[in-house]
Amino acid sequence: MSSAEWQILGLTLRTAALATLLIVPPGLATAWLLARYRWRGKSLVETLVALPLVMPPVATGLLLLQLLGKRGPIGRVLPFDVVFTWRAVVIAMMVMSFPLLVRAARVAFEEVNPRLEQIARTLGARDARVFATITLPLAARGIASGMLLAFARAIGEFGATILVAGNIPGRTTTLSLAIYNLVQLGRDAEAFRLLGVSVAVAFTAVWITEAFLRRRV
Amino acid sequence: MSVVVRDVVLPLADFTLEVSLDLHAHTTALYGPSGAGKTSLLEVIAGLRKPATGRIQLNGRDVTRLPPRLRRVGYVPQDDALFPHMTVRQNIFYASRVDRHAVIDVLELGPALDRGVRQLSGGERKRVALARALLSDPEVLLLDEPLSGVDVALRDRVLQYLVRVRDEFPIPAVYVTHQMEEVEAICDELVVLDRGRVTERTALRRSSPGG
Amino acid sequence: MRAALLLLAGTLTLNAAEVRVFAAASLTESLEEIAAAYERETKDDVVFNFGASSMLARQVDAGAPADLLLSADELARTTRLSERVAFLGNQLVIVTRDARIRHPRDLAGKKLALAEPSTVPAGIYARTYLQKLGLWERVKAHVIPTDNVRGALAAVVAGNVDAAIVYRTDARIAKGVRVAYAVPQSEGPRIAYLFAMVQDAQPHARRFFAYLQTRRAKDVFKKHGFDVLR
Repeated sequence: MSSAEWQILGLTLRTAALATLLIVPPGLATAWLLARYRWRGKSLVETLVALPLVMPPVATGLLLLQLLGKRGPIGRVLPFDVVFTWRAVVIAMMVMSFPLLVRAARVAFEEVNPRLEQIARTLGARDARVFATITLPLAARGIASGMLLAFARAIGEFGATILVAGNIPGRTTTLSLAIYNLVQLGRDAEAFRLLGVSVAVAFTAVWITEAFLRRRV
Repeated sequence: MSVVVRDVVLPLADFTLEVSLDLHAHTTALYGPSGAGKTSLLEVIAGLRKPATGRIQLNGRDVTRLPPRLRRVGYVPQDDALFPHMTVRQNIFYASRVDRHAVIDVLELGPALDRGVRQLSGGERKRVALARALLSDPEVLLLDEPLSGVDVALRDRVLQYLVRVRDEFPIPAVYVTHQMEEVEAICDELVVLDRGRVTERTALRRSSPGG
Repeated sequence: MRAALLLLAGTLTLNAAEVRVFAAASLTESLEEIAAAYERETKDDVVFNFGASSMLARQVDAGAPADLLLSADELARTTRLSERVAFLGNQLVIVTRDARIRHPRDLAGKKLALAEPSTVPAGIYARTYLQKLGLWERVKAHVIPTDNVRGALAAVVAGNVDAAIVYRTDARIAKGVRVAYAVPQSEGPRIAYLFAMVQDAQPHARRFFAYLQTRRAKDVFKKHGFDVLR
C-alpha cells in the first residue's frame, strides 16, 4: 500500500473510532431512557432518533451542511470551522451511526430483567450504581454488537460526508470517498486495491467482535 | 420493631388492594391464595410499587416518599433474583453495609462463596438471596414464598435455615406463603389476605424450635 | 445565420424527440434559456446533464448516451466526438465576501474553493494561473476541491471558504459575494468551450447543434457574460 493509501485508511479508522466512542454516552443514555421510561413526547424522540436511518444520507448531509456551515445556526457560534474539516467527517459519522447504536442498546437494556435492578435498589444502590453494576454488564453483549454496527456504518459513510466534509485529500478523504474518486477517474486498479482494504477492515472488525462475544458466554 | 401500613389502596388487575395493618410481631405470616395481592403488598412496602394512596411506616419512620434505596428493607422475592453475572460472594456483599459474617455461618454458605450463581441448587439460591438481604442491614425483612421452587425433599432443610435466621437475628419479617406448615413453624402472627383485603388476623403460639 | 433559421423552419416535425446534451455546469442558465426557446419552436425535448466537463467527457468515453458535449475544455480528451467547434470564451475571477482580498496574492493562507484542480477544467485553469504567478505553493495547502465550478461558488456564497476562483459568468448569478479580481485575458489561460457532436448521435440532435450557433443563441450567451469566439 502506498503512503497515500495508508493515510486514507488511517483517517478513516481514526474518525470512525472517534465517532463511535463519542456516541456511546448519549447513545446509551437515550437507549436507557427509551427502554425503561414512558413519558409524553416519547414517540417524538423515537422518531427523531430513527430519522438518519430512514432519510437518504445525502439529505441528512444537506441538513448538516445548513446547520454547521459558517453562517448556519450552529456553525456561526462555534469558535472553529466544521464544514470541510475532519470534524465534519466525525459529525456525519456520528449522526448516521447514532440510531444503530441506540436500537441495539435499547433491545439489550430491555432484555435485562428489571426485577434485578429493583432488588439492587432495595439493597441500597443509587441509580448510577445500579446501571454500572447490574444493567450495563448484563446488556454488554448487545451493546458491543451495537457499537460494531455503528463503527461499520461510520467506516462506510459516504452520502452525508461528501456534502458536509467535501473530498479533501489528507483531511477528509475517507475510504469510501477515495474509492468513489478513483472510479470516477477511471483508475480502476487503485480503486480495487482500496476495495480490498475495505473488505479487510470489515472482516477484521466483525471477527474481533465475534471473538469478544463468544468469550463472554 | 413495627411495620405500619395505613390506608394503602392499589388497583390491581381483578380487584383493588386495600389494606391497613399494624404489625409488631417478630415474624408475621401473610397468608392467602395465589393472586390475593400478597406480593403486591410486599412491593408497596419495599417501595417498588406506588400505591394510589396510603402511608407506610417502618419502625416509626414514615417512608412513604422514600425510594427503595432509603427504606432499609430486605426484600427476598419469589424468584430470588440473584445477579446472574456475579459470584455468590459478590451477590451477598452487594450492599456490604455490615460485616455480618455471622450470616454466612448461620446459612452455611462459606464453601459456596466463590461459585457462580448458575451452579447453585434451588435451596442454595434461597440461602444466598436471604444472606444478601440480611447483609444490607435491613430494618424489615420481606420474604416472598421463600420455599417455593425448592424440592420437597429439601424444604425442611431450608426451613431449618430460616428458623435459625429468625432466632439469631432480631429483624422483624413479613413472611408470605400459602403453606400452613411454614406458618406454624416460623411465624408469631397470622394475617390472611384475600382478594386484596385482610380477612383475618390471629396471634399464634408457634411450635417450639425444631418441632 | 438566416440560412440556419430557414433550415430549422423547414425541418419542423410533429414528433417530440429527445436531445441529450452533456454540458459544463457554467453553461446552466444560458443553455436552459436557449433550450426553452428551442423546445417551443420544435416540440423536441432537450435533456441536460450538467456537471464538471472532465467527468462528462469520461462518461461520454464510457459510452454514455449523449448527443452533444459542450465542454469548458476545448481539448476535451475523448475520442468519440465528431464536429468540434471552439465556440465560447470565458474569464476567471476571484469571488469573495472578504473585503481584504483584492488581488491573487491576498489568497495566500486563505481557504480557497476551486473545482478539483487536477481534473476539472475550471480548477485546472485556476491552478495554471496561480502557478504562473508563483502563488500555487502558498495557496494549495488551503484549497478545498469541489466536484465542479458551481460547488466552489456555493461554498463561498455559504461562507464556508474565504474565496473561490470561478468563471466570470458564474459570479453573475451569485448573491452576497463580489468579484474581487478579474484575471486579465492577456494573463490568464486561454479558456475556450468546445461544442461538439458525439459520434452516433441521434440525427435530429444536429438541429439543436445548429440552433446553438444561431444569432439568437449567441445573443443569449453574450447576455450571460460569455465571449462568443465564432
